Amino acid sequence: MKLSDHTLKEIRELPPKYPHIRSAVMPALDLAQEELGMLTQEAMTQVAQALQVDPGYVEGVATFYSLFHLEPVGKHHLYVCNNLSCQLRGAEELLTHIKQSIGVSEYGQVSADGLFSVEPVECLGACEYAPMLRADHRFHYDLTPATIDALLKEWRGHGDGKKARKEAHPRAGSH
Amino acid sequence: MPDPTPQVSLTIDGRPVTVPKGTLIVEAAKLIGVEIPVFCYHHKLDPVGACRLCLVELSPGPPRAQTACTTPVAEGMAVRVTSPMAVKSRADILEFELTNHPLDCPVCDKGGECPLQDFTYRHGYPVSRVQEARLHFAKPLPISDRIALDRERCVLCYRCTRYYDEVAWEQELTTNQRGVQSYIATQFDQPLQSVFSGNIIDLCPVGALTSRVWRFQSRPWDMDHTASICSRCAVGCNVNLWERRGELMRVTARENDEIDDGWICDRGRFEYTHVNSPERLTQPLVQRRPAAWEGALSRIAAGIKGRGPRLGVSIPADITNEEAFLLARLLNGPLRGARVVMQGRTSLPAPPLNQLAIKDLDGCHTILVVASDVRADAPIVNLRVKKAVAKSGARLLTVNPELIDFDRHPGVEHVAYEPGHAAAAVRKLFDHPLLQQGPVGILYGDSAGSEDGAAIATAVAWLAKEIGAKVMPLYRATNERGVLAFGILNGDSLDGCEYVLTWGQALAVPKGVRFLACWDDFARPYHDRAQVVIPATTFAEDQGSYTNLEGRVQFLVPPLQPRPPLRQGWEVLQDLGLALGLASDYLGIFQVQRDAAAAYPAQAALAVPPAPAPTAAPVAMGAARP
Amino acid sequence: MPAATELRGSHGKAAGPVLTKDFGTADLHKLGVYEKVGGYQAWRKALTTMQPAEVTGEVKASGLRGRGGAGFPTGTKWGFLPPPDGGPRYVVVNADESEPGTAKDRYLMENHPHQLVEGILIACYAIQAHHAWIYIRGEYDLQHDMIAAAIAEARAAGYLGEQPLGKDFPIDIHLYRGHGAYICGEETALLESLEGKRAQPRSRPPFPAVKGAWGRPTLLNNVETLSTLPWIISNGGAAYAKFGTEKSPGTRLFTVSGDVQRPGNYEMELGKPFSHLINDLAGGPFPGHSIKVWWPGGCSAPVLTGEMLETPSDMESLAAVGSMGGSGGVIVADDRRCVVRCAYRLLQFYAHESCGKCTPCRVGGDWAVRTYERVLEGEGTAADLATFDRIQTGLAAGRCLCGLGDSAGWVIQWTMERFRDEYEEHILHHTCSVEAGARA
Repeated sequence: MKLSDHTLKEIRELPPKYPHIRSAVMPALDLAQEELGMLTQEAMTQVAQALQVDPGYVEGVATFYSLFHLEPVGKHHLYVCNNLSCQLRGAEELLTHIKQSIGVSEYGQVSADGLFSVEPVECLGACEYAPMLRADHRFHYDLTPATIDALLKEWRGHGDGKKARKEAHPRAGSH
Repeated sequence: MPDPTPQVSLTIDGRPVTVPKGTLIVEAAKLIGVEIPVFCYHHKLDPVGACRLCLVELSPGPPRAQTACTTPVAEGMAVRVTSPMAVKSRADILEFELTNHPLDCPVCDKGGECPLQDFTYRHGYPVSRVQEARLHFAKPLPISDRIALDRERCVLCYRCTRYYDEVAWEQELTTNQRGVQSYIATQFDQPLQSVFSGNIIDLCPVGALTSRVWRFQSRPWDMDHTASICSRCAVGCNVNLWERRGELMRVTARENDEIDDGWICDRGRFEYTHVNSPERLTQPLVQRRPAAWEGALSRIAAGIKGRGPRLGVSIPADITNEEAFLLARLLNGPLRGARVVMQGRTSLPAPPLNQLAIKDLDGCHTILVVASDVRADAPIVNLRVKKAVAKSGARLLTVNPELIDFDRHPGVEHVAYEPGHAAAAVRKLFDHPLLQQGPVGILYGDSAGSEDGAAIATAVAWLAKEIGAKVMPLYRATNERGVLAFGILNGDSLDGCEYVLTWGQALAVPKGVRFLACWDDFARPYHDRAQVVIPATTFAEDQGSYTNLEGRVQFLVPPLQPRPPLRQGWEVLQDLGLALGLASDYLGIFQVQRDAAAAYPAQAALAVPPAPAPTAAPVAMGAARP
Repeated sequence: MPAATELRGSHGKAAGPVLTKDFGTADLHKLGVYEKVGGYQAWRKALTTMQPAEVTGEVKASGLRGRGGAGFPTGTKWGFLPPPDGGPRYVVVNADESEPGTAKDRYLMENHPHQLVEGILIACYAIQAHHAWIYIRGEYDLQHDMIAAAIAEARAAGYLGEQPLGKDFPIDIHLYRGHGAYICGEETALLESLEGKRAQPRSRPPFPAVKGAWGRPTLLNNVETLSTLPWIISNGGAAYAKFGTEKSPGTRLFTVSGDVQRPGNYEMELGKPFSHLINDLAGGPFPGHSIKVWWPGGCSAPVLTGEMLETPSDMESLAAVGSMGGSGGVIVADDRRCVVRCAYRLLQFYAHESCGKCTPCRVGGDWAVRTYERVLEGEGTAADLATFDRIQTGLAAGRCLCGLGDSAGWVIQWTMERFRDEYEEHILHHTCSVEAGARA
């Protein structure tokens, strides 16, 4: 999968925003992943060429940070915190429930309909709302198997998902 | 001039040492022969404090061990390398290093010269206490046709990736993933492309990066080595040539800070296997039949004597000064008037007087590179330019038709010109802002032969005079500068010559020559047309010297003896002279060198024997082991 | 843009005196509302009536200590920067909150972004920096956008930009997103990441004050630290120093999570006992259970037991019981929890988040995880007690390049120190009476 001309144009406009061109690599990878859902070898090479660094440099950066996906993920990728605060409040059970609900046996596996994948992650910094998860750039709080079911239903396009308390969607914000 | 850097006195395990302020503890210890083991630290790379093996105890200092590789000395500091805390700290680190190491020393090429092996023996626990299974990676992994990577042996000191990034300014070798999952990788698992890749083998402190060319050929302790000079280009990097049972086993870097800074390029490192080839020519041939040297040389003499300009002589890029001198005697006598061409040379004329030495690059305010990417012409000088820019803050101005690899570095300025107009581009630079403050060093080539080297040299000489710069012509052929000093080159091709002597691989032998003699190490297609073929030595057998592109004379120290009937080049040339009627009675090469130095003042250094290489201080060991 | 969600912690009548004093005010994240509660008055005061050195002087007088984890005196840190040389220098805001059990910077950013922006402006002026970079963890999407909106509002209102408040002191604040690496909370790893590299901590010296972001003098402060500045400048350092203890002045925003009835972010005066925070503010343990073990400052602060709840919350009192103030993230676990399993989970965290640069942390964390796995599967042997001890010593004792290795080592060291019987039960008898009891 390759990047569109539009994304490449945006990437080429990044360097002047930073004191050094290497600082533009991660924002560029962000744009690439936003478009493709993951970072392909072609996309990383395109980013490298656009920023005049070696592809190996981009690959080294991309594989270091856990928010960059080098394998395909579902349309909705669920980052479920299971560090101690969430684990004490049932994160493990939630993870098992999610895997069963979306029909995958492994973390990182994409559901058959392509809609979902799930991975346990380290502390997401919303411990007072444990257990919680992040998906599609927003947090979902105070999760139970029931609220998970409601969320999945909403994402499958069949329900309102209001049962899970959630923060406002940043990308749909008022600015 | 007194040293402006203040001195600092300290003790290391009770032994006093005084060093310049800013010296790292690990370097101060080297001076008095105290071993502080290191993996990540390398004196040519920026210190990073990653492996933690150099932990020592400091007083005054915190109540925990400190890394000697990142801590500068301080006045009155007491460094304790063998205190119980320091000894235990290092032993613990070594135990961690070995937790996932495969311990496959018996089949590892590094065995015998492996710092991990040596340090474990000298600083580690006597028995392994690790119960867990070891992590596994696929092994070994070819990362180019010349280098293999074994990730299980890797201790992630990052010397290789840091070298690539800091020294070579390339990132085709990086670290992927993080934490215990980290591993060294080439970009998208593609083979390494860099002409500087082989240095990572020398840098690797374990058996993770090994030479596939040398792989499983011999043990380090089975080899002898000589301190010689690379013959692949005009830089003259210092190398060690490793020999076992009459074969050249490998080539490694031999640090000379004035020339190579400890690096060699892949041509120098890997292009040696031909020396051992069974295809080598060993026997003089006359009309394709084995002959004695006397008969063969007589036939050659008869074929080339007195032919004047109808004779063409092609000489190899790596002809030694001594050979060139003896050839010059023939060209001034029985072969007077012959046309002489040199393989692989530039069109640059004889060197200027305001020569820039390689080590001068470190102190340049601005470096100007004209009509060359330096990488192809003089590879290791390319790295020295990068060092000057990255570590000494030199400004870099490149003048080339296209962007070159230097230009990816931020702050490098590029001036483009229409191909064929390099000289004009140089003349326009006299008021360039970067050239108004000295010292300025100018490196110039001839764009791989596509520009008029004489015109560029003239323009550069003018510019250098205008702005007060020193210059370095980037000769390509190994001893191009040495040969220019003997004044024997007078042609670009053998076209039109009726009588031809080729020495080494000639670019083009004209059709229909009346006489052809070839002196070569391998058979070539055009040898079929030769009346005489005689065998040639290589850099691994040849005595003699090269003059590098900055004018420095350095001597080959061959690890191999020519196997009879193979003979040294200077001996063959002397006998050819005798056959041509020229009296000569050299018994050894030193007499040749003395005569050459006397006759050609530019080559006076030929009569000065090289200084012996310094020997390292003996290493104190013993109590370091827990 | 609306505030995130239901506030949990200090707000309304329970609001604290400094950081959260206005929490519960509707639309506090909007500039107009912030201005009504006195917003940007401190910035006006600093920029128009004070010299940079006076600002630093007030911060020094306040005794404020960094709220990121190390607790270093903030004013002293500001003093480490060399005098301006005409080249760029930076304020870098550590908004990479990732310490397990810590959510207070998120709470401040999403509810009170202007307070942070004002604090950043004050810090920029004090050290004479014209550019600030907020390094915010990539998972904080909403918080990123809240701050971006606040910066835009403040710029439009003339609080920053080419001529803030009409003064000739240009300031710009930039946002930079992290991409999932706990190690970026370590200041030099953060700088590497900000420079677009793999986030591996740097060896010090040189310290960031001398050679920080892009090789230039840099001040790094945490979100909570900077959010405290407007109050200090408005009310004076001496007023701030009246809160708390002599050596740990002020208040602090604690996150309480885990086995408590009202988890949340609570502002509390330093020196008050943790029993007040955990029992009074956070509602204490669930009925029928008691607190067995808790981490006072993120999981990197050595663990304490239920009997130690009366420990005062100032840094000196915590040091006296072998722990530290850390990030202010208080994780509470009750009597149903197996400490060995908790430690295993935390070591998984440290192993996963090790950057891999230095040997002990890269190898030791993973070695510990594999040993815990074996032990928890009932395959421990008597030698494993010594193994844990060996890994712990190798990790800690200041041998690693940064603090992550120490933190990992402390989890092993202090859980073993305080709950050795549970370890011995697992290792020697291959059972866990805690979990068996919890199931029963």
